[in-house]
Amino acid sequence: MRTRPGLPTSPPRTHGRTYKIQFPAESAESQKSRQKKAPEFPILEKQNWLIHLYYVQKDYEACKAVIKEQLQETQGLCEYAIYVQALIFRLEGNIQESLELFQTCAILSPQCADNLKQVARSLFLLGKHKAATEVYNEAARLNKKDWEICHNLGVCYIYLKQFNKAQDQLHSALQLNRHDLTYIMLGKIHLLEGNLDKAIEIYKKAVEFSPENTELLTTLGLLYLQLGIYQKAFEHLGNALTYDPTNYKAILAAGSMMQTHGDFDVALTKYRVAACAVPESPPLWNNIGMCFFGKKKYVAAISCLKRANYLAPFDWKILYNLGLVHLTMQQYASAFHFLSAAINFQPKMGELYMLLAVALTNLEDIENAKRAYMEAVRLDKCNPLVNLNYAVLMYNQGEKKGALAQYQEMEKKINFLKDNSSLEFDPEMIEMAQKLGAALQVGEALVWTKPVKDPKAKPRSSSTSKPVTCPQPLGSNQALGRAMSSAAAYRKLPAGTGGTQLTKPPSLPLEPEPTVVASPAEASEEIREK
Amino acid sequence: MAAASSSDSDGGRAESSEANSKWLDAHYDPMANIHTFSSCLALADLHGDGEYKLVVGDLGPGGQQPLLKVLKGPTVLRENPLPALPAAAACFLMEQHEPRTPAIALASGPCVYVYKNLRPYFKFSLPQLPPNPLEQDLWNQAKEDRIDHLTLKEMLEGIREKAEVPLSVQSLRFLQLELSEMEAFVNQHKSKAIKRQTVITTMSTLKKNLADEDAVSCLVLGTENKELLVLDPEAFTILAKMSLPSVPAFLEVSGQFDVEFRLTAACRNGNIYILRRDSKHPKYCIELSAQPVGLVRVHKILVVGSTQESLHGFTHKGKKLWTVQMPAAILTMNLLEQRSRGLQAVMAGLANGEVRIYRDKALLNIIRAPDAVTSLCFGRYGREDNTLIMTTRGGGLIIKILKRTAVFVEGTGEMGPPQAQAMKLNVPRKTRLYVDQTLREREAGTAMHRTFQTDLYLLRLRAARAYVQALESSLSPMSTTAREPLKLHAVVQGLGPTFKLTLHLQNTSTARPVLGLQVCFLYNEALYALPRAFFKVPLLVPGLSYPLETFVESLSTKGISDMIKVLVLREGQSIPLLSAHINMPVSEGLAAA
Repeated sequence: MRTRPGLPTSPPRTHGRTYKIQFPAESAESQKSRQKKAPEFPILEKQNWLIHLYYVQKDYEACKAVIKEQLQETQGLCEYAIYVQALIFRLEGNIQESLELFQTCAILSPQCADNLKQVARSLFLLGKHKAATEVYNEAARLNKKDWEICHNLGVCYIYLKQFNKAQDQLHSALQLNRHDLTYIMLGKIHLLEGNLDKAIEIYKKAVEFSPENTELLTTLGLLYLQLGIYQKAFEHLGNALTYDPTNYKAILAAGSMMQTHGDFDVALTKYRVAACAVPESPPLWNNIGMCFFGKKKYVAAISCLKRANYLAPFDWKILYNLGLVHLTMQQYASAFHFLSAAINFQPKMGELYMLLAVALTNLEDIENAKRAYMEAVRLDKCNPLVNLNYAVLMYNQGEKKGALAQYQEMEKKINFLKDNSSLEFDPEMIEMAQKLGAALQVGEALVWTKPVKDPKAKPRSSSTSKPVTCPQPLGSNQALGRAMSSAAAYRKLPAGTGGTQLTKPPSLPLEPEPTVVASPAEASEEIREK
Repeated sequence: MAAASSSDSDGGRAESSEANSKWLDAHYDPMANIHTFSSCLALADLHGDGEYKLVVGDLGPGGQQPLLKVLKGPTVLRENPLPALPAAAACFLMEQHEPRTPAIALASGPCVYVYKNLRPYFKFSLPQLPPNPLEQDLWNQAKEDRIDHLTLKEMLEGIREKAEVPLSVQSLRFLQLELSEMEAFVNQHKSKAIKRQTVITTMSTLKKNLADEDAVSCLVLGTENKELLVLDPEAFTILAKMSLPSVPAFLEVSGQFDVEFRLTAACRNGNIYILRRDSKHPKYCIELSAQPVGLVRVHKILVVGSTQESLHGFTHKGKKLWTVQMPAAILTMNLLEQRSRGLQAVMAGLANGEVRIYRDKALLNIIRAPDAVTSLCFGRYGREDNTLIMTTRGGGLIIKILKRTAVFVEGTGEMGPPQAQAMKLNVPRKTRLYVDQTLREREAGTAMHRTFQTDLYLLRLRAARAYVQALESSLSPMSTTAREPLKLHAVVQGLGPTFKLTLHLQNTSTARPVLGLQVCFLYNEALYALPRAFFKVPLLVPGLSYPLETFVESLSTKGISDMIKVLVLREGQSIPLLSAHINMPVSEGLAAA
């Protein structure tokens, strides 16, 4: 039994206890006089400190016990006990109950902005953003200099899609006091509005303010990645990884960049860490699969991609990659299924139709292949490979006129790309284009200045030239397969990743590098080895 | 106890011998029955004999039996019961006289109990807070019976709504009462002066005018009404009073009262306020956006543990320096000071049973305790300079001694790439069969594709045919025609031979009621008998589900069951709107008979 001085229910025990200590102040005389008078009231806040201590130590069971005792003793008048009880309810997911208790608190002391803030927070969690903003505004009247009120108001406005108001509130929150969270929210608004540059601006400031926040670093890195500023992207992602080597998002993004540069082994070691932390992540297994693809371990690649597909059956990028790998493996029937599934989820992408057309060509369904190419040409705006592949098909079918038209279309796209980007063209594509050009007798119209200077281009083109015997049936299946797989490398540059959200780590390494391309002969060897 | 403790500590050493090599296990008693927090632990040379004792403000099991315990070595020297739970304990020198024996101060409720030579010496009570003058006035009127109870209640409620100064407990209690109880309450309490009492939430000590280790110190109190008080060590008068925007939960003090000092208070609103001499209000403010769980000053850096499982470092002006993530929630923090090597570090007790020691961001050491450590204290104990005292959530007491040869080196903790990097990827294996099938596809891919496409077209054709047929004969249980959007589903209940057949008919249109429908049952009359094979349906209000019940008697004795067709018809039309086929269950009643 605990001692409760002055509690009406057990006065004798109380006195017995206090007697034992015999402090000078607690003289027997004063006790007698008290007994005759009306009972004393307990101090309401007597155990608030203990409640708070248990609460911050996350010992909720002990906390609830003290709260219960305190509320019994004070007949429900102890505001702080109710307040913490409500906080615990909220943590346990009973938001409605917590809301009611916070409202009780607000009645007990109506002048306290804190109670209103919590009422609003619970409303917010219940999805009643409108009501939450009203309560927050009321709280803001009581306490004008609270960044938390401003910040949360801003977040509410984001959910209400009132971005201007949200920005105002968040900026005033930043003026009161700078917090990482506010920066993140502001950045999010800009991203929702599709304004990448402004978002980067905000995140830059945020990183300046707290240079060790891995979330900020990762997000900034991903934004740079989206804009194609790889140097800065890698810098920030690397920083994030030094502070937190197990940061899943940063690992995935940095790994994808390594993959684009062909560092498959380094990327794989990084992915191991992520695979331990998040073993069921579809983008992770997708990237691992494409690493194996890059290392020409096709069976492993298919295994990993299929796992990714199992984890995220509606992700068209994984299906795209599966289609690509199966084309490389000459499993055209399977490739057809994966690609047509991908098209069902993403019907707006030219390259997918082109790949489908390649699969159909190999399945000897020329009619449908042509229709697929037509769709691809209609949708695609900047990938010369679509036109090249189509031209090859038409040439092989003897339609020289159509082939020529596509060839010229391709030339346009190439000139456009040469003017606008520093991208190197895949040597195989160049070779194929040159052969086709010769066959169509348009010859030297194109000048492949940049790619030819590329020192890597020469040895590779010599090594892979064996299957194609020019000028005879141009664009055999194998040549097509190669041209097609390198096609994917182009996708990331001008197309832009329209659909990818920032919050989600991008599964960028969809695109295997040109180096990845292997002749099917090698692929079959791989299988035999296993 | 000695035997038990030695075997236990052996187990602990084997578990993590390498990490613990810096420490000697002096004592471990899982049943010590000490339940306390870091703020209630203090080490002091209470008798002036060079033998340091441990002072514990113990909450008792379940917070029910507060005790003041004084421990010498592993044994309890003295136990005094306390009138209320102790919020903080401190040892401090009250005066310069020899022998210099420090006094114990225990903050509990509204009082500080001061003990000297382990005997009660003085009790300091916080002064009463001034009551609200309006409230005072009202109660005075009540005393003279010049005000009736309802008016009193209304007036008090008015004060509660607006006033800056909160009401006393007496008034708050009065406001809760029913009308019938008011009279008695007022009569009982009206003669009493209204009181507002606050309580102490945290306590620390501040050197009076000398920086020496054995200099006279003042007590610094944090109270529930958002104030910090500095008490005179001898007279126990209030030397200074400062106000805060929130209730202080943890307190960190440096400097000397007469020269220059700095008070840092971590408060319940998640902010940390820094005050200096001559400042009545906070000079700097750190906003954590989480609750602080501990506050320690290491040299000039403030280290704060937050509920987001992280340690933050701040300058004494409130600028953020660094953040370290913890693997589990922080329960308590304290300072580790190894004077012989000039080392100051932060110890943090975590919910997973670890005690981590950090110098700035660098992890120096991890101690794995058998239970979650809820209080920590480091210093001179007995005659040993560097002793670590820990108590656990279950009430255990652990005492460890830092080896004299031990040197803390940075980077002995987690460094380098994470362990997971060395683990092999779990890539799914493919079977021989898979490889064979791959080869088969490569050879006969075109044929496979064609067969598949043909079959797919056939399948689609058949599906389309079946669908058209269903539509034509109104076989579906849903009718979506513009005039009569209807839904039907049927339930059969019972074991037989009599079944109850319930049809749930619903009008799914948004506004239009449906009138003039009929229901017809088609069945084999040799097997079943229904009271009515044909009846009219009442008007169907949109949205409601109408249960239409009928009994079905099974006539067969051979345990045969058949299908009953339900047709919903419009008056004057022979084509049904919709239909349902009900597979009747076998009558079990007959089988048994």
